[in-house]
Amino acid sequence: MLETDLHDLSDDADYAASQQQGSTTMMRTDSGRGSSSSEHEGAEVVYSKENVTIHPTQFASERISGRLRLIKQGSCLFITWIPYKGQNSNAKLSERDRNLYTIRGVPFTEVRSIRRHTPAFGWQYVIIVLSSGLAFPSLYFYNGGVREFLATVKQHVFLVRSEEDANTFLVNDFQNPLQRTLSSLELPRSGSIASAVSSASVDVSPSNSERRAGEDSHDERSRISRYGGKQRHKAQDPARDLPIQILEKFSLVTKFARETTSQLFRENHNNGFSVAEMRIQNQSSLDSPQTSSNDLEKVTDDSPVVQDPIQFDKLTLVWGKPRQPPLGSEEWATFLDAEGRVLDSTSLRKRIFYGGVEHNLRKEVWAFLLGFHAYNSTYAEREYLQSIKRSEYLTIKNQWQSISPEQAKRFTKFKERKGLIEKDVVRTDRSLSFFDGDENPNVKLLHDILLTYSFYNFDLGYCQGMSDFLSPILFVMGDESESFWCFVALMERLGPNFNRDQTGMHCQLFAISKLVELLDTPLHNYFSQHDCLNYFFCFRWVLIQFKREFAYEKVMHLWEVLWTHYPSEHLHLYICVAVLKRYRNKIMGEQMDFDTLLKFINELSGHIDLDAAIRDAEALCVCAGENGAANIPPGTPPSLPLDDGSYYIQQDEVL
Amino acid sequence: MSYAYLFKYIIIGDTGVGKSCLLLQFTDKRFQPVHDLTIGVEFGARMITIDNKPIKLQIWDTAGQESFRSITRSYYRGAAGALLVYDITRRETFNHLASWLEDARQHANANMTIMLIGNKCDLAHRRAVSTEEGEQFAKEHGLIFMEASAKTAQNVEEAFIKTAATIYKKIQDGVFDVSNESYGIKVGYGGIPGPSGGRDGATAQSGGCCS
Ligand SMILES: Nc1nc2c(ncn2[C@@H]2O[C@H](COP(=O)(O)OP(=O)(O)OP(=O)(O)O)[C@@H](O)[C@H]2O)c(=O)[nH]1
Ligand SMILES: [Mg+2]
Repeated sequence: MLETDLHDLSDDADYAASQQQGSTTMMRTDSGRGSSSSEHEGAEVVYSKENVTIHPTQFASERISGRLRLIKQGSCLFITWIPYKGQNSNAKLSERDRNLYTIRGVPFTEVRSIRRHTPAFGWQYVIIVLSSGLAFPSLYFYNGGVREFLATVKQHVFLVRSEEDANTFLVNDFQNPLQRTLSSLELPRSGSIASAVSSASVDVSPSNSERRAGEDSHDERSRISRYGGKQRHKAQDPARDLPIQILEKFSLVTKFARETTSQLFRENHNNGFSVAEMRIQNQSSLDSPQTSSNDLEKVTDDSPVVQDPIQFDKLTLVWGKPRQPPLGSEEWATFLDAEGRVLDSTSLRKRIFYGGVEHNLRKEVWAFLLGFHAYNSTYAEREYLQSIKRSEYLTIKNQWQSISPEQAKRFTKFKERKGLIEKDVVRTDRSLSFFDGDENPNVKLLHDILLTYSFYNFDLGYCQGMSDFLSPILFVMGDESESFWCFVALMERLGPNFNRDQTGMHCQLFAISKLVELLDTPLHNYFSQHDCLNYFFCFRWVLIQFKREFAYEKVMHLWEVLWTHYPSEHLHLYICVAVLKRYRNKIMGEQMDFDTLLKFINELSGHIDLDAAIRDAEALCVCAGENGAANIPPGTPPSLPLDDGSYYIQQDEVL
Repeated sequence: MSYAYLFKYIIIGDTGVGKSCLLLQFTDKRFQPVHDLTIGVEFGARMITIDNKPIKLQIWDTAGQESFRSITRSYYRGAAGALLVYDITRRETFNHLASWLEDARQHANANMTIMLIGNKCDLAHRRAVSTEEGEQFAKEHGLIFMEASAKTAQNVEEAFIKTAATIYKKIQDGVFDVSNESYGIKVGYGGIPGPSGGRDGATAQSGGCCS
């Protein structure tokens, strides 16, 4: 099996050495040597807090307390959390668990953000998210001290408050994109993230569990000294000129993203086990929706959903955020002010991303997601808009309804369009009861809306695939005019999928190939060698956004998730990559050629695990970060067109 | 299932002429008028017997819409047979045949066997293209020709099998180097390995490949 991309840590000399040294020292206990060596390295403890505790399960008896420290070495700040040994420990809580959660010297260059939670009742805690998107379990400060912790961090690393969330602090998030890129590249080396991940992995040697607290601190420092040493080495090298350094760092990040993702996907390569299954399955909310307040300075994240901070499932790694049940009416009401404005559209979108919308609420919410209604509109404004738009719709519809048969005879383009639409609406989702049977009025609505649209946007006209987009919209909205305007809003973004010259499609297929190159180079190379780089096998996925790949209900869920444009406008491209990655070993192992691959991908329809695909895509998107975004050409759908003048110029002889 | 040969077919022609219906009639022996329009390509497969040899047809049903052509063309590669379909009740679908043919000649291999099908012949009362016109076009361009109906199944079986028989005869006559997969033929058990003695890949794969 081709596993060449799996970064084997054993060939990472530094990592291997640190592991070696760690375990050797542990077996031949020599605390004297340990402390002298760490002093030699000049590590300084700048913050230390006792009784910082994690809650791996919902049972109070299974909490693990430990000591949290910030350690400064050279210009680098590290965080460690070492659980206490042998104190009133219960049988359920194994040494394995204890080691699993230990944080051994993770440098802040690997930390993306810290989120603080300071509820009025209960313990304060923080969630530390790594650049990879992984997060450590929440750290509860039983003795308080979150503020002091953050203040100390701030003294040593660049910390800014997130614009989106007043309780989230971004680490090294510089305003200047180049600076930001460079700073995020201040990774000691690409293997380090993997070791940070593996410090939470289940591989625990017996000697580890026999460790005593003093040795832990030695271990932690010896690791830190590795990082410190490496960094100094880089800084001291004057021979490098800047452009080369930038390039190198760029490739480092690329390598980093690749290795991180292959690490995370390793499980399902080997045994088909889904990464998602390893992740937290917590249905309760770790990160609750913002309450309706636009005051960013106000503490808004301690809404009632996190009533009890103990309600966490056992988790080793938090991968993305846990999924929530679909947004329901009651919760929806909390996003609206008295006059019906959505106050915090960002947290609304985020909320929907992580759980979707209950079906009966879709009619209301989709109009916002699609952009028909503005988030800051009031009930009254929306009602007014609807009535204006209804008559506007009827006016456009009348344009074709008033064409007499005589006139139509001399209006070939109209006749052809109408004929095509008539042929296609009777071949769209007819197996659903909503569209089945002869003379079904909803089929007629599909027809009327599509034909009206082809007058509204005469340059783009009608193209196959549009009825696939309209079908769920009509199913959800019910109303003819509202369906039309929602469809119009969707086509503002996805219209280019239907450009005659296929530019919109080629743009997206190209972006997929760049993303695969970034996130799975061996697979990219495989496609390249087998003449598959045009990615035509993803054509149907992209053209109608997976409409034919999932059951109807799933499609509606996927679409509302995509329409949140959180965490990326282009998440659908990452979904393509995620699905390809999931089957990469089969594709390469069976040496599929273009034909076989196309057939294989076609036959995946109905067999893709949607939830896993979304989670994987989110993870890939986070891993790819700015590099991913940089690989997607500007204006790639569903981005709004860069220049709307000449977007739909079609060749003349066509429909 | 093991086969002596596997042939790759493509079905091409304007949208709505009944390509998917023909495929479904051939593979499942049923007519389903409400099935979805084709985006990209769909697949079907069936075993047939010619000269007592089991032959597997792997059929690619392409989308007819003009704007998808730049993509559907890439599916022509390595097809041994093509069904070029028009709708006898719609003149324009007949008028477009030349451009489809040009596409096929350009992107498929030169020895591809092409069957011209005038579909929907059950709708004789709405006929817009006469049988003679179809015959004439086929003759001019060296195609086999049949009128058929996906609805009544008339000539459907015959069209697919006659195409296969023609390909089979070409193999017998040594027109193809069957060991070269770009001709859209894979050799399984009992097939003629071809002039170059066959490739390990092709024989080893027999039976195991494809659904
Ligand atoms: N009466 C009659 N109707 C047919 C026949 N074959 C197909 N149809 C009808 O024609 C319509 C189009 O058939 P499809 O098989 O979907 O057409 P297609 O060529 O696959 O079209 P695209 O997928 O858009 O390229 C269907 O709705 C059928 O009802 C036939 O033999 N007789
Ligand atoms: Mg079809």
